[in-house]
Amino acid sequence: MTAHSDETKQLRPGLWETVNERYPGSMITKDDFVPLAPLRKPLSESRLTFVSSAGVQPKGTMPFDVGHPVGDYSFRRVPSTSNPSDLEIHQIKYPTHGAVNDLNVIFPIERWQELAAESVIGGLTPNFFSFIGYNMDSERLERTLAEDIAEAVVADGADVALLAPA
Amino acid sequence: MSLQYLKEAVAVGDTEKLIRYVRLHLGDGNEAAGRKEIDKAWVEALKLLLDVPETDREFILKTLAERDAATLAHLFFHLHFYLVQRSGEWIHDGTL
Repeated sequence: MTAHSDETKQLRPGLWETVNERYPGSMITKDDFVPLAPLRKPLSESRLTFVSSAGVQPKGTMPFDVGHPVGDYSFRRVPSTSNPSDLEIHQIKYPTHGAVNDLNVIFPIERWQELAAESVIGGLTPNFFSFIGYNMDSERLERTLAEDIAEAVVADGADVALLAPA
Repeated sequence: MSLQYLKEAVAVGDTEKLIRYVRLHLGDGNEAAGRKEIDKAWVEALKLLLDVPETDREFILKTLAERDAATLAHLFFHLHFYLVQRSGEWIHDGTL
């Protein structure tokens, strides 16, 4: 990300430089300034969706391709009404032991269900969305996976999208 | 390492960059661990064949003859993880 007068408004200024320092050749650069989107209505009236790179998916769906050397650019819809026992994790790049014991530590689906039931948030989209973060083609990640998820989020009628890296 | 970085390495024949990437991938970011993982998979494969058990050569030959090279290369990575998992020494944080 290049210097920008509003750079301080970004959540993680300097993130890309850090990535490139630690992983030479990962020249992920962003010249565009992407402003944060303001909330358009109170949270208690907003429908929330959750987007996670945790590799969580409904049991029985095609496992994420964690062995592919260049990554997996697909995503899974996770019904927001799911019980954690309906879901599983396919991901080898972060410790999943805790999440296997209690999925909510990485994919807090029961907490969202509770907050919706208590009307702290207006509701949940029919689906949440999950993918794996090990992807070497940043352009494809942005042009396909990110845009595919964005379209699905809009189609699900989300007012608020909470993004969480694993 | 980005895909572009790897493609540039292919273009100039820099195989050292490519194998380093494979080791990093298989070793979860640790090149020495990745090298050991590659050895571990080969050792496991060898151990499975020492008693010369009956194997499905027809399946192997048919697969090699009929499947495209990219699918076979993909299978090669799957086989690596299958064999290291089978070895009982799993270094990765998560699960396949």
